[in-house]
Amino acid sequence: MSTAANPSLSLGNGMASHRRRLGARGILELAGIYAALVLVLMETIYPLLWVLFGSLKTKQEMLSNIWGPPSSLVFQNYVDAWRIAGMGSRIVSSIFVTGSALIILVVVATPCAYALARLRFPGRGLVLAVAVAAMLVPPQVMAIPLFMVARDLGLINNRLGIAFVYAATSLPLSVFILRSFFVTLPADLEDAARVDGASRLAILIHIMLPLIRPGVALILIFGFIEIWNDFFLAFLLLRDPSVQTIPLGLVSFFQQYDSLWTLYFAALTITTLPVIVVFIAMQRQFIAGLTAGAVKG
Amino acid sequence: MSTRPQEAAPSTSRFGRFVSGDGAVAFVMILPAAILFGLFYLWPFVNGFWLSLHNWDGFSDPIWAGFSNYQRLTHDRIFLGALRNNLIFVVAVVVLKNVLGLGLALLLNRALIGRTFFRAAAFIPVTMSFVAVGLLWSWIYNPVFGLLNGALDLFGLGGLKQSWLGDADIALYSIIVVDVWKWLGFHAVIYLAGLQTIPSELYESAKMDGAGPVQRFWHVTLPMMMPIVFINTILGLSGAFVRNFDIVYVLTKGGPNHATEVVLTYMMSKAFQDGAMSYAAAIGYVLFLIVGLASVGLLALMRRQRLDV
Repeated sequence: MSTAANPSLSLGNGMASHRRRLGARGILELAGIYAALVLVLMETIYPLLWVLFGSLKTKQEMLSNIWGPPSSLVFQNYVDAWRIAGMGSRIVSSIFVTGSALIILVVVATPCAYALARLRFPGRGLVLAVAVAAMLVPPQVMAIPLFMVARDLGLINNRLGIAFVYAATSLPLSVFILRSFFVTLPADLEDAARVDGASRLAILIHIMLPLIRPGVALILIFGFIEIWNDFFLAFLLLRDPSVQTIPLGLVSFFQQYDSLWTLYFAALTITTLPVIVVFIAMQRQFIAGLTAGAVKG
Repeated sequence: MSTRPQEAAPSTSRFGRFVSGDGAVAFVMILPAAILFGLFYLWPFVNGFWLSLHNWDGFSDPIWAGFSNYQRLTHDRIFLGALRNNLIFVVAVVVLKNVLGLGLALLLNRALIGRTFFRAAAFIPVTMSFVAVGLLWSWIYNPVFGLLNGALDLFGLGGLKQSWLGDADIALYSIIVVDVWKWLGFHAVIYLAGLQTIPSELYESAKMDGAGPVQRFWHVTLPMMMPIVFINTILGLSGAFVRNFDIVYVLTKGGPNHATEVVLTYMMSKAFQDGAMSYAAAIGYVLFLIVGLASVGLLALMRRQRLDV
């Protein structure tokens, strides 16, 4: 902790004049802050608006009217983009892969985190140490052997297979987060249930799980952003176009038809807008969850 | 953590106690996680090292190669260039995300009308995939009809127009800007959470002592924020080393002429274009060592500073 301020700085002006000067300066300062924030807003939101505008323009207008909103709305761009980029099957793949991975993750991580937090058994320290160490090994660095393992297990181009891989890569952090939630729960709760003869599993499901709902929500938010948006592992393991997820579909669309700008903008809007809308609808929980997770470790 | 009375343990043997106590339950509860982790984390990790000590294209018989793959790496000029690019990328994005993130958080920490709105707006890029962000910026950077060159023309700065991704001298920095753009809101929100934990009395007393806004920042805000600086640095650091494949692949594929090649893009092209699986595995291991050392070093520094977060 550092000293608050150097005492030698306190050469007091008259208190009243001090306050008046701050007031005048305060307004200027506030104007400056708003100007800076509007700049930030322009820099984050305008490119997205630009994509939205572009997705509704004709190809000619795209060149003649670069900056502004479209003069007429060409919804046909969306129809064409949906068809050419094969959006329907990509969205189904993304939902299937992300949904399965998150279910596997919660089912596998929760009992493990519970055991690490509440049970006493030999080897607990070792399991915990492995979980922490694994967080230092990002899955990207072992992409090549992971590809080999998946190939040996016949999991290339297998959507359920990649869901297991995603669950595994999110596992160490999720166990760590859930454990920190279990640790904070009072022990008497559980002891009372044990006296009544409830089994550990029943306690976990009926008593503990409802209490750590915020923790589960947190790992689901982390996991969703990570898996839904992932390109790298999907690029590695889903090689057949018929099973590919949205990010892969966008890239191949972009690489195959690199002159259909208005259609890209439409495809980009289709894939980003839903996530942004969900985020805006629940941004409080979203941001609170992320900061809690980050500050917790 | 859990100090509850030991249940009656009639059996005296170790195994007996293990089964009748929590041991058996714990074993069953941990087993699914252990299998998943073993298959898709531990096995590849161990197997990758084995692979890097062989020469193997992935199909024929592997041939023992000792450390020759690692030796080859030390004079592979493309790899060394990729490593250098990666380090520039890491240092630049970590510094920029921290400085700009703290700056943005300070702006957002004021009692302002529309604060929630500004905060949400700054956070939106975080929710987008790297692919979407990359595609968006490839149009912004487009030399012919892109937004950036267009804006420069609009403000009469046409002389500054560049081929942002095509010029080997600036392409890497163009990519760095994109990564910072995507993550800025995330780091700002974490700083914001930290700023809100600083007790306002500290500011009051600094004000009483006549400290101006700048002095209050250096003497109150920054020292109090050091733990958050460390969190943001750790989050940014591990991400910057290994989360740059998507963005580089979408924007430049490592070009022009390897000017934006990073370790992961090189690893993937070695594995899947040249079929040099063992060499690529060795590249992955070197990257793991660097990331691991950087993280462990940072954690040790954190502990020495007594920043338990």
